[in-house]
Amino acid sequence: MANIAISRIKREFKEVIKSEEIVQCSIKVELINDNWTELRGEIAGPPDTPYEGGKFILEIKVPETYPFNPPKVRFITRIWHPNISSVTGAICLDILKDNWAAAMTLRTVLLSLQALLAAAEPDDPQDAVVATQYKENHPMFMLTARHWTNSYAGGPNKVADFDTKIQRLKDMGIDENQARACLSKENWDLEKATESLFS
Amino acid sequence: MSSEEVIVPASAPPMEEASTSTSSTPTVNTNTETPTEENKDKEDESMYECNICLDPAKNAVVSMCGHLFCWPCLHQWLEIRPTRKLCPVCKAAIDKDKVIPLYGRNSSKQEDPREKLPPRPQGQRTEPESTGFSGFGFGDGGFHMSFGIGAFPFGFFASTFNFGDQRAGLNNRPNATQYENEQTLSKFFLYLALLCLVGLFYS
Repeated sequence: MANIAISRIKREFKEVIKSEEIVQCSIKVELINDNWTELRGEIAGPPDTPYEGGKFILEIKVPETYPFNPPKVRFITRIWHPNISSVTGAICLDILKDNWAAAMTLRTVLLSLQALLAAAEPDDPQDAVVATQYKENHPMFMLTARHWTNSYAGGPNKVADFDTKIQRLKDMGIDENQARACLSKENWDLEKATESLFS
Repeated sequence: MSSEEVIVPASAPPMEEASTSTSSTPTVNTNTETPTEENKDKEDESMYECNICLDPAKNAVVSMCGHLFCWPCLHQWLEIRPTRKLCPVCKAAIDKDKVIPLYGRNSSKQEDPREKLPPRPQGQRTEPESTGFSGFGFGDGGFHMSFGIGAFPFGFFASTFNFGDQRAGLNNRPNATQYENEQTLSKFFLYLALLCLVGLFYS
């Protein structure tokens, strides 16, 4: 990898570690391999959002052309958000694409992602199903997002009704993640979800 | 992720937070000493870090929006997206020809490690404007008379009488031949204008 990429990542790594946000436990970066090409980020769900209390793990891949091209970032922790794929964790965020600027750093990227969790852009969705729910049935979206945060990111807020419904599908021999995804998609209508799973 | 070798951030939270911090990071008291000379120097240096490579800027240039870069870094940034030339910091419009090079006292000793890059843009030096009326007096000879004939020789005066001021970097540019052509053309028009003048005097 080009020298500039490595030396910059090293500096940024230190910057994140020294930053105030790490003291507040709101962002974190860890190293995955020795050649600084892959990192693991972590952001805390922002307060007053359905993601509150959750810890979201991110995969960060540093391209050879960094910082002239953006790092490749993806959610490893599954999340219910209009701009993040509920299946792959792919992120739709302008600064990770065309609006990248070379002066941005790991720290600003992580903080931007945290801001994205607090302010979704349903009109520029990555996950169309989530975005539709966000716009057309917002209370349902909030509950679903909170439930996902509880299930995958260690969030404190359980949604008992959803857990029972998932258990029902599990009893029918369906994988938990699949059941959750399908129920979320069908606005937690158990009948519809069962239909779509078995059709 | 088989070769997982996770390094736990071993930074020390500042003292006042250390007691309340719930994180499992070891608390080492490294940030407690008062700012020493060395720290001050480091702080000073960090003010002159390139916004792209984060090292102290080499062959420094500054954009119109005031952001500092190494010229090689900025050049690469501009090359990578030729259609969207924006400042990497504030996203203001930025252009190769509109950045200002910074010459420190020892800057001439620095050599560009990346010779294949085009040279840093030249500093643009404008002559101070002559004050008072004397500069426009008739004593200067007939040249200024030509203003009255038409606008066309006006623009060429500047280039024609700037022979001694040719910028060193100019010949490296791809449009050097075009520049020469323009010069020839401008000289031609100058002589034409002089011819007209002479004609006017005698008529």
